[in-house]
Amino acid sequence: MSAATRTANMIERVPPLRWTAGLLARLGFSGRGLVIAVPTVWLLVFFLIPFFVVAKISLSEAVIARPPYLPLFEWGEEGQLLITLNFGNYQFLLEDALYYLAYLNSIKIALISTVFTLLIGYPMAFYIARSSESRRNILLLLVVLPFWTSFLLRVYAWIGFFKANGVINNFLMSTGIISEPLVMLQTDFAVYVGIVYSYLPFMILPLYTNLVKLDGALLEAASDLGAKPIVTFFTVVLPLSIPGIVAGSMLVLIPAIGEFVIPALLGGPDTLMIGRVLWDEFFLNRDWPVASAVAIAMLIVLVIPIMLLRNAQGATEERA
Amino acid sequence: MAETVMKQSASRPWTDPNAEPFIRIKNVTKRFGDFVAVDNVSLDIYKKELFCLLGGSGCGKSTLLRMMAGFEDITSGTIEIDGQDQSGVPPYQRPTNMMFQSYALFPHMTVERNIGYGLRRDGVDRAETERRVVEMIELVQLGQFAKRKPHQLSGGQRQRVALARSLIKRPKLLLLDEPLGALDKKLREETQFELMNIQEALGITFVVVTHDQEEAMTLSSRIGVMTAGEIVQVGEPHEIYEYPNSKFVAEFIGSVNMFEGRVIEDAEDHVRIHSDEMGGEIYVSHGVSCAPNQKLWYAVRPEKVRLSRIRPDSNVNVARGKVDEIAYMGNLTLYRVLLDSGKQVRLTKSNLERVDHDAIAWEEEVFVSWGDGAGVVVTS
Repeated sequence: MSAATRTANMIERVPPLRWTAGLLARLGFSGRGLVIAVPTVWLLVFFLIPFFVVAKISLSEAVIARPPYLPLFEWGEEGQLLITLNFGNYQFLLEDALYYLAYLNSIKIALISTVFTLLIGYPMAFYIARSSESRRNILLLLVVLPFWTSFLLRVYAWIGFFKANGVINNFLMSTGIISEPLVMLQTDFAVYVGIVYSYLPFMILPLYTNLVKLDGALLEAASDLGAKPIVTFFTVVLPLSIPGIVAGSMLVLIPAIGEFVIPALLGGPDTLMIGRVLWDEFFLNRDWPVASAVAIAMLIVLVIPIMLLRNAQGATEERA
Repeated sequence: MAETVMKQSASRPWTDPNAEPFIRIKNVTKRFGDFVAVDNVSLDIYKKELFCLLGGSGCGKSTLLRMMAGFEDITSGTIEIDGQDQSGVPPYQRPTNMMFQSYALFPHMTVERNIGYGLRRDGVDRAETERRVVEMIELVQLGQFAKRKPHQLSGGQRQRVALARSLIKRPKLLLLDEPLGALDKKLREETQFELMNIQEALGITFVVVTHDQEEAMTLSSRIGVMTAGEIVQVGEPHEIYEYPNSKFVAEFIGSVNMFEGRVIEDAEDHVRIHSDEMGGEIYVSHGVSCAPNQKLWYAVRPEKVRLSRIRPDSNVNVARGKVDEIAYMGNLTLYRVLLDSGKQVRLTKSNLERVDHDAIAWEEEVFVSWGDGAGVVVTS
C-alpha cells in the first residue's frame, strides 16, 4: 500500500479530519493545492509584499520626518487620487558615479571571489565524491561544520589573523621572513579571503552532488581509449559537471554581490561595495527613497543575468 | 589429409605445441585485502581467438579482464600482450580496448564523437578520423543515428556504439565485459553472430567475460571456466560440454545427471562402475585413469538418456523408475524420472511429431538407459 493511500485511509477513519477534508473539497481546495499554498503564501507575505513596499518607497520623495519619505498616494481636496511618482532617485543613481562604481566593484569582487571559490572548491568536491562512502560522510560533515558557528564570529576571527599584530604577521616576523608587519586588514585582499572562505561550502555542496553521480566507468573508458588523466578531466569530467559549476557559482556570486558584513569588517574605507552603500544610505543618510532605489537596482542587476542564464540552460537541456 | 591437419592447426593454434601465444598470463594473483579474487592463474591466448572467460558472479573473471586492461594492479605474476610485459603500463598506453558492461558511453557526446574519441586522443588528423568514424558507423549499421546522443538510442544501438568505439583504434586485443548482458534474448542471439562476423572480418583477438554459458558456447573458439579465482578447465566449447574434467564443470555447463559410484573393473579399453545411486552397473567404453575401488562420478547429459517402457536388452547402463514430472517445452519434452534407488534423472526427448499418441505419461513405469559412450567419468 502506498503512503498516499494510507494517508487517505487515515483521513477517512478520523471524523474531524473527514469533515475538514469534505468542507475543503466543497470549497474547491484539493490536497495538492493546499500543499502548494503554504510556500506560495509564505513567498507572497515575506517576499513579494516587502518588494512592493521597497519599490514604493524608491519612487517617493525624501523628507525629514517619520517615516522619512512622502506618501505616494494622496487624496486630493476634491476626493481624487493623486499619485506622485518621483523617478529622481533612480536618476540620482545614474548621475552620482559612487553608485555605479559600487555596482561595478561589487560585481568585480563577487566574480573574482567566485572564480577562486570554484578553483578551490572543485578539487575538494571531486576528492569527496571519489572517496569511499564512509569517508565521504565525514568529509561532508567537515564541509558544513563551520555553519555551527555564527557567520559573524567566523568573519571576526579573520581580523585576528590579518591585523598588524595578528597570527599571520606574528608568525612571519618571528620566523624572520618579514621585519615590518604586512597590511592585510582593511584591504580588498582581506575581503576576497573572507568571501571565498565564507562561501566555499555553497560551492562544494552542489559540485559534490553533481560529481558523485559521475559514473566511474566513464573515467575508465576515457583512459582505456588513450586519454591521460588530465585529458580525461577536460574532455569528460569537466563538461559533465557544468550544471554543478553553474549552480555552485550562482550560489556564491549572487549573495557575494550584495555582501555587507565581510566588506564592512575586513574591507577598508575604499572597498566600495553596494551592500555597504545601501547600509550607509539607510542608516547614515536616512535617505530611504534613494536607499530603496539602490536596492531595487541591485535586484534588477542580479535578476537579469540569472534569467538569461536559466533560459540558456533550459535551451541546452531541451537540445540534449 | 596432411592439408586438413595443417589447416586445423592454423585455425586452432592451441593444438600446436610450437605456436606462439599472443597473450601470456603467468601465475597472476590478485588480492583485495584478505580476499583472493584471482588465484595463480596461467593462461595462453592465441592471435585472432575469441576466448570466453566463463563463470558465476564473483569468480574473478572480471578482475582478470580488468587486469588485462590495466584498471587493476596485479598482486603477483605477469601479463604479456604480443610479447610486451604490461606491468606498470597505464590503461591509456596499452594496446587493448575494452567494451564495458554498462557501455560507459559519454553522455555529452554524439554517437560520432563517442566513436571518434579514441582517435582524437591519439592525435589522428581530422580527415582520417572522420573517414574511420564513418567506416565504423557503417560497420555497426548506425548511419542514421550518427548525430544522436546516447540517451536517444535503444539498448541495442548503444551496444553497437560501444563496440564501434572500442574497435576504432584497431586494438591488438579487445576486452568485452558481458557484452550482451543488457540485451533481450532475441537481440542477443542476433548480436552474437554479428560479433563473431566482426571479429572474423577485423582479425582482432577478443577476450569476452560472461556468465551466460549459452553465449560462451556460441561465441567462442575456446572457453576458460572459472570458479573461486581459478581457471578449472580450458577447452573448445564441445570439449567443455562433452569432456568436462570435474563435477563442477559438468554441472556448471548445461544440465547433467551425476551418479556416484566405485570402480569394479578397470581395463585398458573399458571401465565398469557400480553405482548405488543408479541402482546398477555402468559400463564405460574407454579407459579411465583410476584405481580399483576408487570413488568417482559418472555424468550423463539429459539428451543422451533414452526412455522406454520395455527393458532394453542390456544389463548395464539401465535403470528402472517412474515418471515423476513431464514438462513440454515446444522443441523438447523434459522428463524427470524417479529411479527405484530414489535418485532423480532428467532426460529430454526431441518432439519429432506434433502429436505423439503413444507418449509416456505421468506415473508410468519406465526404463532409462544410455550408450557406452554417452557419459563421462569425473574423479573430482
